[in-house]
Amino acid sequence: MELKAQPGMAGTGVLQRIGGRLGYATDQQHIPGLLHGAILRSRYAHARLLRVDTTRARSMPGVRAVVTAQDVPGVNRFGIVVRDQPVLCENRVRYEGDAIAAVAADSPEQARAALEVIDVDYAPLPVVADADTAEQMSPLHGESNLVARDTFTRGDSEAAFARCAVIVEHHYQTPRQMHAFMETEGGVAIPDNNGGVVFRVGCQSGHRDAEQLADILGLKSTQVTVEATPTGGAFGGKDEMTIQPVAGILALQTGLPVLVHLDRFESCRAGIKRHPVSVVMTTGCDSQGRILAHRVDALLDTGAYASLGPAVLENFLDHATAPLYRIEAYSVSGRLVYTNNGVSGAFRGFGGNQATFAVESQLDALAEKLTMCPLEFRRINLRTADEPGSRGQPVRWTAPPTDVLAAAAASPLWVPAGAAARRRWLTGTGMAMGAQGNGLGDGLPDSGGGRVSLTAEGRILLEFGFADYGQNLAEAITCLVCEGLGCTASDIDVVLGDSRGPDSGPTSASRSSVLVHGVLANTLPRWKDLVRGQAASLTNLPPEELDCGPGGLFHNSRQILSYQELAEKGQLAPMVVDASQAFPVAPDQDQPVGRYLQLQIATVARVAVDRLTGRVRVTDLHHITAAGRVIYPPGYLGQIEGAAIMGLGMTLTEDMPTREGRYLADNLDQYMIPTIHDAPDQRVDVLDNTPKTDSFPVRGIGELGIEAVAPAICSAIEAATSIRVQRLPVDPGYLLSALCAQEKKRS
Amino acid sequence: MSAPISELNFVSARRAVRVLRPDSPSQAVSLARQCRASYTAGGTWLQPAYERDQCWPENLVALNASWPGFWGLEDGSNGLTVGAMTSLAEMARHPLVRDYLPPLAKFLNLVAGPGVRALGTVGGNLIVGGDLSALAMALDVRVDVVGHAGVRTLPLSQWLRERTSEDLLRGFTIPDCRGWRMSLEKLGYRERFSPTRATLACVHDGYRLRLAVCGEGGLLRLAATEAFLNGWAALAPDDFGAVLDCELVDHGWQDTHVRMALRRMTTGLLSEVALGT
Repeated sequence: MELKAQPGMAGTGVLQRIGGRLGYATDQQHIPGLLHGAILRSRYAHARLLRVDTTRARSMPGVRAVVTAQDVPGVNRFGIVVRDQPVLCENRVRYEGDAIAAVAADSPEQARAALEVIDVDYAPLPVVADADTAEQMSPLHGESNLVARDTFTRGDSEAAFARCAVIVEHHYQTPRQMHAFMETEGGVAIPDNNGGVVFRVGCQSGHRDAEQLADILGLKSTQVTVEATPTGGAFGGKDEMTIQPVAGILALQTGLPVLVHLDRFESCRAGIKRHPVSVVMTTGCDSQGRILAHRVDALLDTGAYASLGPAVLENFLDHATAPLYRIEAYSVSGRLVYTNNGVSGAFRGFGGNQATFAVESQLDALAEKLTMCPLEFRRINLRTADEPGSRGQPVRWTAPPTDVLAAAAASPLWVPAGAAARRRWLTGTGMAMGAQGNGLGDGLPDSGGGRVSLTAEGRILLEFGFADYGQNLAEAITCLVCEGLGCTASDIDVVLGDSRGPDSGPTSASRSSVLVHGVLANTLPRWKDLVRGQAASLTNLPPEELDCGPGGLFHNSRQILSYQELAEKGQLAPMVVDASQAFPVAPDQDQPVGRYLQLQIATVARVAVDRLTGRVRVTDLHHITAAGRVIYPPGYLGQIEGAAIMGLGMTLTEDMPTREGRYLADNLDQYMIPTIHDAPDQRVDVLDNTPKTDSFPVRGIGELGIEAVAPAICSAIEAATSIRVQRLPVDPGYLLSALCAQEKKRS
Repeated sequence: MSAPISELNFVSARRAVRVLRPDSPSQAVSLARQCRASYTAGGTWLQPAYERDQCWPENLVALNASWPGFWGLEDGSNGLTVGAMTSLAEMARHPLVRDYLPPLAKFLNLVAGPGVRALGTVGGNLIVGGDLSALAMALDVRVDVVGHAGVRTLPLSQWLRERTSEDLLRGFTIPDCRGWRMSLEKLGYRERFSPTRATLACVHDGYRLRLAVCGEGGLLRLAATEAFLNGWAALAPDDFGAVLDCELVDHGWQDTHVRMALRRMTTGLLSEVALGT
């Protein structure tokens, strides 16, 4: 089924966001007494801090506070997986975005002027600039620059390689990609007059941030509240804390609200990026095309601090096992290292799409060696829906993988390549597949809750801890509630991201929709019963004959009470239902590995390659998705198409290279994200064989769209030019040289 | 200075700036000299430098589009005269551009983004060797420059060699090129709003080919390549690429891939102006 955009389909939230009318946390400029914070960043990628003198800054006009490491009231470290990043550096800086001091002043200009007169003496240290040699360099933390290493194995891969008829080995490299969200990092910290702090900030997990902030600020967890405000994009880049610790320290120091908002330059310099990956893959199959053996050796550069790097490594390796395909034996290894190259962390796809780029490229390479159609090669090796996953875990697909492949094979984009020798644009079509699991995975604690209640005003209130950063989760929740209760959207209010409310866990790992559906499946029937009971006691009608509906309670299709009347006359306290659930993992596993809820995508790409310049234009992307039920069509389309454009950027233009630990781009006029003119026509198809009785019919699709874009585009480039690209972003110069060499050979 | 000068002083977050507002072009030239100031019109080139806190003048002389000859397009006996403070967007949609420079309106859509095109001026673009400069060079436009000795008119190429820091570009005149064949191509990093790697202009005036390029290696009239293509140099046809490559290298175009692309783009543009090589 093709999912098509319809006029009026987008909700008001979407229109507000794209029209620039959505209020962000950083728009709260009129809070009484508001101060403006600014952060002094390191001038060096790696240096010892000899002296930080704030004397002159303290006497600057309008300055209310100047803080350094000594002023951090609690633990001067943060980090979701490893707390290794200082809020304010004590005696060493490890990347050029490291924070050294911060100022709160009456105006942003005064705050920045004060930063200019903070005297810092550095003693530069050798820069760990190359991930390949990082382990041989002096450690940036502890004993070694090796942050994490992991290996997944299955069977005897060496013996399996010995039986292979064909083996291909290639080195793949993927770029350091920037999230490039519309709204750069920012928010406000407001003292609550009881010694605590309320944060209004664009972030991805209010509850988790509140825990870390309490430790940093030396407060009890009950003294810290985080309101995760609607955010202009996050994509993983606001999963780790950004400005919150500094804003909180300045607010406590001054007793006044403090707003910190990074400009684009500072965001580029200090913000988290996608891990660059260098991976060698060796894959072999028998003469019939059955994959027998697979070996992976990967290196991920996490930069100066671990952030979510260890989890990214795990997800990379999980995807590098080729979850969609049956492989007899594999040995999949990876290392994550510290360098002085910025900081890398969570980013949509979370390492998975980098791995899928390499895996799918390997499949094409094997098919080519066997002179076999790449689709047929995949068909031979695809798992059935009943088989366990690549790591032996039970999995739940929403459609058989071969159905997804068949739909991709039927795409209208498969038109013959137009490679006439004298024609300027060489066109070609290619495809790739990808799998994406929902949830944090590998036995990590993963649960989330929500709440439904009736407000004093008679509104049905849904509360979740998730943050909305563009996916319009509130409208998806509203759709499910309308379906569950039979009410209308105008009866419902949704509150998201308040750490005083239910803890839903982070808005990441494509987990929100799964948990929202699970929690609502649990809470709505119970809440309905409570409401019917209350209504029955007010009307003397049997509760089993009452039902929720648009605007209120109904009996024999006639409204007998509005929700407002129920709120006024009934008892509100009993009409609150909370629920929490563990994220679904595969049953019967002592130590859960991999992901249980799996999604699939096949992306078919059509490209035009300029024979004169080597430039690549992606003209069409056709996605066949198997990701469960569509509960909110605009959100589904937005996630798949938006993620695909991010994948296109990573494939063709986006990279943040470093030289001696310094980024070579500092703003969006140098860092090339795709423009609307680079965006191809897209079509999204939905395949869903999930039975109505399925316990998990709704899946999270925030990352699925990016999964197979890069290999699909590279496959299409190969179809157009016979040139395979193994390094992203695709270098037009490389393509042009190869095209010239081809022409020379022909002539 | 005889008349008082309107001044706007402001202290930015990064640096103090004084903006001088002269009443006339000649006063602007005097101020530029006295204050070691730079001219500013659309300000789109200054903005990134300013935001990056890069070195730039403490004094700016703000130009005024209402000064005679500084704005608009006019059809005259010498050709099409364009005021330097005409914005890129105004130029793109002007009906005279369709007559004189048919490929330009579409091409300007590739230059920067809509916001920059609305503010950025054709004069500014020309002075910094922006996308327009290759076409201007290939068309042999003549520039009107206000200097200490008054207004002088001279070929763009000559002015670029001789210009002084206080020379003020009032406008330029494109020869009557109606009926000429011309083609333009930009090589960037993405489809729109991209720094220019190279922009190539190819013009045939009915008698001869003209070629010019601007971008990473600078603005350059490809005189040797023109000579070859016009049959004035005794070289074999296969030498075209070598001639162009040598000419580019000699003038600072170091990137091998860009040169390779330019060779092929030139071939493409030549076929567009229906000449072939």
